Amino acid sequence: MLKIKNLHAQVEGKEILKGVNLSVKPGELHVIMGPNGAGKSTLANVLAGRDKFEVTQGKMEFSGNSLVDMLPENRAGEGMFLSFQYPVAIPGVNNMYFLKAAVNAVRKYRGDDELDAVTFLKMIREKLKVVELDDSFIHRPVNEGFSGGEKKRNEILQMISLEPKLAILDETDSGLDIDALRIVAEGINNYRNNDRAFILITHYQRMLNYMKPDFIHVLMNGKIVKSGPKELAHELEEKGYSWI
Amino acid sequence: MSLTNFQNEFQKLLDRKYFSPELHPVRKDAFSKFEAIGFPTQKWENWRFTNLSALKENHYLISEVKDAPQKTPDISNYKIEDLQTIVIYNGHFQQDISSVPEGVQLLTGSEYNELKNNQLNHSEKSPFDLLNTAFMDSGVCLIVGKNTIVGTPVRILFISDGDSSIMVNPRLHIDIESGSLLTFIEEYVGNATSLFQNEAVYITIEKNSEVEHIRIQSSSENTHHMANLHVEQFEDSQYNFYQYEDGGKFSRNNIYVDLNGENSECRINCLSLSRGTQHLDNNIVVNHNCPHTDSSQIVKSVLFDKSTGVFNGRTVVQKDAQKIVAHQSNKNLLLSKSAKMNSNPQLEIYADDVKCSHGSTTGQLDDDALFYFQSRGIPKNEAFVLLVSGFVIEVMEKIKFEPIKNYIDKKMNTWIA
Ligand SMILES: Nc1ncnc2c1ncn2[C@@H]1O[C@H](COP(=O)(O)OP(=O)(O)OP(=O)(O)O)[C@@H](O)[C@H]1O
Ligand SMILES: [Mg+2]
Repeated sequence: MLKIKNLHAQVEGKEILKGVNLSVKPGELHVIMGPNGAGKSTLANVLAGRDKFEVTQGKMEFSGNSLVDMLPENRAGEGMFLSFQYPVAIPGVNNMYFLKAAVNAVRKYRGDDELDAVTFLKMIREKLKVVELDDSFIHRPVNEGFSGGEKKRNEILQMISLEPKLAILDETDSGLDIDALRIVAEGINNYRNNDRAFILITHYQRMLNYMKPDFIHVLMNGKIVKSGPKELAHELEEKGYSWI
Repeated sequence: MSLTNFQNEFQKLLDRKYFSPELHPVRKDAFSKFEAIGFPTQKWENWRFTNLSALKENHYLISEVKDAPQKTPDISNYKIEDLQTIVIYNGHFQQDISSVPEGVQLLTGSEYNELKNNQLNHSEKSPFDLLNTAFMDSGVCLIVGKNTIVGTPVRILFISDGDSSIMVNPRLHIDIESGSLLTFIEEYVGNATSLFQNEAVYITIEKNSEVEHIRIQSSSENTHHMANLHVEQFEDSQYNFYQYEDGGKFSRNNIYVDLNGENSECRINCLSLSRGTQHLDNNIVVNHNCPHTDSSQIVKSVLFDKSTGVFNGRTVVQKDAQKIVAHQSNKNLLLSKSAKMNSNPQLEIYADDVKCSHGSTTGQLDDDALFYFQSRGIPKNEAFVLLVSGFVIEVMEKIKFEPIKNYIDKKMNTWIA
C-alpha cells in the first residue's frame, strides 16, 4: 500500500529526512518512535504533501501511484489521512461546514455522490458519538478554542468521517486524559480492518496497551535505525534511545 | 494644483435655475473656504498615504438635466426583499420608483433647510465637506419622529451611469428623534465611465434611539469616491454601522462619530475588498465626549494584486469622560506580494478611568490552514475561498436585517470566488 524508498527531504536548505525506508501493507499497524526533532512529523507531512518540505531524493508510492508530484487534496482522495500533531485553529470557518466540504470533496474524488445536508448531519451525529464529542462542537469554528484533547478527538472525527485507507496519526495520544486515550484507541481499533492501515507516531507505549501493533520503528536523525515487534516499545520506554 | 475646474463648475451651478437660491449663501461660504484651503496634500495628518493627484487632475462636470435618465432606471439587479427604496440617478431624484416606509418623513434639501430656518447643519472637518456643501445636488432628508419604530428598512440607492465625466454631491440628513428606531441603507452602484462621488451624510440620533446603518460601496471601477459621514449621538442611543466596499478606483471614507450623551454606544464595522490597482481608505474618528460611553471599531481589508489600503482609526476620550469602553481592531489580509496596507490605530486618552484596547495585524493567508484543508481533500482554490470567507465573515455577521445580510454575503462570495 505504501512504499517509501531512500526518502530524503529538506526544509529551508536543511536536510531532515536522510534516507527513510518503510513499507506498509493493508491492515497493518506501524508505530514510529524516536527522539524530539528526529523528523517524525516531517515524514508525516511529506507523506501528506506539505510543499514546504522538498523531496530531494527517493521514492514514495501509495496504492501504486507515485506521491512525489501528487497534490495533497488528491492524496486525501486516494485515501491518505494525517492527524496533525498540532491541528490549526481556523476562526470564521464552521466545523460542520468544513467537515461537509471535506467529506464531499473526497466522495467526489472517489466517484461517489455528494451527501445532502440531512444525510450528512445524520452521519456526523453517529460519528460524534464515537469520539464522545457533543453536537455543539460541529457548530463552532474549526478547532478554535478547543482544548488539546478536544482537538485530537476532532482529528479522529475527521478520520472516521473520511474513511481513509492509510491513517497517519502524529502524536494523537499526547495530551489526552485517560478517557480520551481510550476513545482514540477504540476509534483506531474499530476502524482497523484488513484494508486499512495505520502509522502511529508516539512517544509512549501507553496507547499501545490498547492495540496490537505489527511493527515498532525507531526514527533517529532522519532515518529508521531499528525495527522490531511490539516489545521494542517497552524496551524504548525503559531505556531511552541512547543504546541504539 | 489648480482649482479652476471646480471654480468654473461652481459658477455654472450658481447660474442654474434648479439649484435653489436660498442655499446660495451657504454654498458660497463653503466654496470660498474650500478655495482657501484647497485639497489635502500628503503632508496633512491622516492623508499621508492617500494620493489625490488623479482626482485633482480630472475635470468633472456638475450633473445636468441631460445626465438624468432617459427612461425609468431598471433596478431589478439590486432587488432586496422587504425594504423601501429611494433612487437617485446621477444625482437626480427618481420619484416614480421611490418610496419610504411608514413612520419616515421624506424631505428635499431645500424643504429641510426651510424646516431648519436656514440653519443647515454642515461640517468643515475636511475640504470634501466644504465641497459637498458648495455643490450639494440631491438632498434627501429622512426624519423619524418621537417613539416611532420603523419596521421596514429604507434604502437610498445611488446609481451612476453614462459616459460623461460628472461629479455628484449627495447630501443626506437623517434625524431620529427620541425613542425611535430606523434601519437605513446606502448603496452605490452603476457603470459610470468617469465619476467623482462626494456624499455627505449627517445622522443625529436623539435620546434612547437606535440606528442600524448599512453602507454598500460598489461604485464603478472608474469612480473616485469620497464619503463623509457625521454621526452625533445623545443619551442612551445606539448606532450600529456596517460598511461593505468593493468598488471604485479610489475610495476614501471619512467617518466621524461624536458620543455626546451618557450611555451612548457605537459599533463600527467595515470590510474593504480590493483588487487590481484599487485604493480603499478608511479614516475613522470616534469622540467620547461624555462619561459612560462605549465604542468599537472592527475594520478588515482583503487586498489582491497591486491594490492598496489605509486604516486611520482614532478614538479620542475627552478629559471628563470617565468610565469609557473603547476597542479598535484592524486586521488585513494581503493576498499578493504587491498589495500594500497602511494601518494606524490611535488612542488619544485624556481621562483616567477608561478601558481601551487597540490592535492591528497585517498578514498573508495562513499556509498551515491552507494545507490543513487540502490534507482533508478540499482542493486548494476551494480552500482559499473558504479561508478568505472565514476571515471576513465576522464583520457583517451581526447585521440584524436578514435580507441585507444575505445580499452582502452573496456579493462577498462572488467577489472572493
Ligand atoms: N520550517 C523549518 N525550518 C527549519 N527547521 C525545521 C522546520 N521544520 C522543522 N524543522 C526541523 O526539523 C527537525 C525535525 O522536526 P520534526 O517536527 O519532524 O521532529 P519530530 O520528530 O516530529 O519531533 P517531536 O517528537 O518533537 O514532535 C527539527 O530539528 C526541526 O527543528
Ligand atoms: Mg513531531
